[in-house]
Amino acid sequence: MIIAFAFLAGMTLVSALGVVLSRSVVHSALFMSGSFLGVAGFFVMLNAPALATLQVLIYVGAVTVVILFGIMFTQRPQVRRYRTIINRQIWPGLFVALGVGAFLAYVLTVQDWTGTEPGNGLRSVADLGNTLLGVGGAPPIFGLLFEVASVLLLVAMIAAIVVSRRRTGEGVDRGVEE
Amino acid sequence: MPPQLQPYVQQGLDVVNQTIPLEGYLIVAAIMFAIGAWGALIRRNAVVVFMCIELMINAVNLTLVGFSDYLPGADGAGAGYAVLVIAVAAAEVAVGLAIVLAVYRSRKTVNVDEINLMKW
Repeated sequence: MIIAFAFLAGMTLVSALGVVLSRSVVHSALFMSGSFLGVAGFFVMLNAPALATLQVLIYVGAVTVVILFGIMFTQRPQVRRYRTIINRQIWPGLFVALGVGAFLAYVLTVQDWTGTEPGNGLRSVADLGNTLLGVGGAPPIFGLLFEVASVLLLVAMIAAIVVSRRRTGEGVDRGVEE
Repeated sequence: MPPQLQPYVQQGLDVVNQTIPLEGYLIVAAIMFAIGAWGALIRRNAVVVFMCIELMINAVNLTLVGFSDYLPGADGAGAGYAVLVIAVAAAEVAVGLAIVLAVYRSRKTVNVDEINLMKW
């Protein structure tokens, strides 16, 4: 357990630092997928294999690909020095982030978690499905949340199409032009 | 294996096999959230800012799933919320990248400190 935990924690946190500090945007995206894979491993350790599957499919697969497409469409070659990729708030930002991290760690660990044991999670996919639909003893609010989430996904899909559509005669696509 | 080594091996196995306390997951998630917040504050590229926001969302998911596995009274509700958070994050990244594309088309840059369209 400890070996797996240490490996996953190292992979997740080092990849997260890589996202912030790597000078190439594509490397940032690949580091991000590594970090997501580490979180998927944590989900497996936490008795949620169905969630780990969702994590790999949606984050490591879909979100990474969408972000790579975004990089492809928007990046121009620029000097990759830290002065050009990072704005002037590096040290205040570091202090703020350290403060946030210390505060969160304090709040999360000031509680007495002794007596909590792993293994209460929804191990089977059927239980997770029941919970998501709010049936079988799960809080019934999940049924409503499920419907709201599906409407939200539809709205987001339409919004993404409408916002990113090129109107005729407005702007040029540099990739085609050059 | 020589018999005098047996207790040490057993001790080592006990150390390796002990269960991780809940604090371990919570602290990893807190550090991951802080790294994501740092990146969202300091990077200039809007796409990288999105990646850092995704990192923060993943840290929250890790906390939710940890609670749902460790707390006996939770009945695994955290896993259900985690699925909803994943859906919201997917919607957010789709709309966000569409906005970045639209901004790039009109401004030819995605650096967040050069986009002052809505700043008076």
